[in-house]
Amino acid sequence: MNSLDSEKSVSANESANAAFVSSVCVPLLRNQQNEDGGWGFHPQAESRVEPTCWALLELMQVESSARDRETVQRGLQYLRSTQLPDGSWPATPGEKNGCWVTSLACWALCREEHGPVARGLEWLCKDWPWDSSPWQRFLRGLTAERSISTQNDAYRGWGWTPRTSSWVEPTSFALLLFSEVPETVLPSGSRKRRQLAEAMLYDRMCPGGGWNCGNPRVYGVPGEPLVIPTVWALLALRKYANRVENQMSLDWLLRAVQNAQSLASLALARICIETYGKSWPLPETRLSPFYERHGFLTNVAVTAWACLAWNPRPRLFTSSGRGRA
Amino acid sequence: MRDQGAALIPSFQRPASRVAIRRAESYEEDLGTLLYETLREFQLPVRGKTVLLKPNLVGFDPLGVMNTHPSVIAAARESFLRLGAAQVLIGDGPAMDRDTEGILESVRLREHVGGLKNVFVDLNTDDVKCVPLPTRASRLRELYLPKTALGVDFLVSMPKLKTHHWAGVTLSLKNMFGIVPGGCYGWPKNVLHWAGIDRAILDINAAARPDFAIVDGIVGMEGNGPIQGTPKRSNILILGDDPVAVDATCCRLMGLLPEKVKYLPRAGSFLGHINSEMIQQVGEDIPSTRSSFAVLPAFRHLVDEHSSFGRRAAQKTG
Repeated sequence: MNSLDSEKSVSANESANAAFVSSVCVPLLRNQQNEDGGWGFHPQAESRVEPTCWALLELMQVESSARDRETVQRGLQYLRSTQLPDGSWPATPGEKNGCWVTSLACWALCREEHGPVARGLEWLCKDWPWDSSPWQRFLRGLTAERSISTQNDAYRGWGWTPRTSSWVEPTSFALLLFSEVPETVLPSGSRKRRQLAEAMLYDRMCPGGGWNCGNPRVYGVPGEPLVIPTVWALLALRKYANRVENQMSLDWLLRAVQNAQSLASLALARICIETYGKSWPLPETRLSPFYERHGFLTNVAVTAWACLAWNPRPRLFTSSGRGRA
Repeated sequence: MRDQGAALIPSFQRPASRVAIRRAESYEEDLGTLLYETLREFQLPVRGKTVLLKPNLVGFDPLGVMNTHPSVIAAARESFLRLGAAQVLIGDGPAMDRDTEGILESVRLREHVGGLKNVFVDLNTDDVKCVPLPTRASRLRELYLPKTALGVDFLVSMPKLKTHHWAGVTLSLKNMFGIVPGGCYGWPKNVLHWAGIDRAILDINAAARPDFAIVDGIVGMEGNGPIQGTPKRSNILILGDDPVAVDATCCRLMGLLPEKVKYLPRAGSFLGHINSEMIQQVGEDIPSTRSSFAVLPAFRHLVDEHSSFGRRAAQKTG
């Protein structure tokens, strides 16, 4: 195949994928909204905050009709109705404690209104992980645990759930939120939290670049990076795109995506790689056959990520890291 | 719906448990027949029932030592169907990576099982139900658990025979961490670590006790498990109707003392038997199938120093 044929083929794939997303994926997302306005992780599943946020982030990008706007408004109302009195959001209905989905809910809401978002941000800024508290660090210094890992516990991000440890993905989600909301909405303590969290992410990077859940080295053995945590960390740190750690991790991602076997990894990697201004390295990827083999549309979050990755429109993230709200 | 409260009372009484050890030289053997014949001996009440197989799926595993091997999972599924089960589901909630589909593809489960649609359940994103914990081993008082795991008639824990750098060993009881949904608690399910791994193991198994266990010990892992350890070939499958007894037997097969694994003696007081006198051994015997597993220095106290295997293991761990 000569270069002209190759370009035509790439262009045909991109068009086919965009058509698949707009004709199959987006309608599926619309149709999977529950009566209460939220989305479950799977069709007919009960509404949860996380899949609702991913579906909304996609549908807010494409809303074009009155029906779309109504779908989005019902989704946002679901989020408003599930916020807990302390400003956080729970992972599942009935749960009385908030968790990492608070960042996602604020992110989805922040383009519409700032009241609930400000309360969510307040909660996030008060939610300190326990592993890095002075008392825990003192205790760890007395035990054999200090030899297990080499991470710097002075850096603090966010845990998946309150009163636990800092991890890469929830920390990245909080940083992404901070970069999306206007400065005027950010609480006073947010600058310090952001600096500590960014330092924590760099500290938790795997030795050759990339991130896993947050264990770069255990018992002296380097941890293996994973695509999804690497994507979120790179997006959270995108304003430092030229730092050597970012470039190493981006290089790792560009290599790793060649072997990615799921649409979740492919879609998120594509969002990240394009946000960093690089060309998508797998132009031959075709969503339709991928779906026939894997049936990924049964997962609302993955469907939303695929839409966000292949819909031809402004990217989810600006490369600079300041919100578009 | 499974009876949540049954057999959980601390002063439990149950007849002797049965544990079978079967030799299997490789994953290419006819594991379907081997498992079917063995399961038939147990006369399990699965006819017309829904069975959930809960393997240990961790991540990309080119050496086949980290995850329950797909051929064992497929053989177990086929066997339960042959025994008359109406439906045999496979479900897990990987702890370290939320890309369940990527993990399933990397372990080639689809190829072995022949399609996963309506067969595999991602327990990380399943609908959940709040379950008050019937025990108070940890400070956890309730957990949101997947409705699929709570709703099936017969739950089978299918771990890999591995050492673990936090818990000492990871077998059928520890494998149940995988039913705790990442969609509620994250990746990893760090709340369980903060509650105390050993204690959380007891609480989870009291809330959703496996009815049966099948351990993949054809190739396991020693040393810095459950992810970064060294492959360890034992060429055995261990099956039993009491996950505590199965885990105790596995420890003995690994040259480790079950009484020294933090959570096992407590599990032995209310969940099942660890005393070998209360475990009816069928199939191969322990001495002829035992092989010493190296452990990290922090777990050297687990090594059975009185066996020749144990002495060797102690030397290996330094």
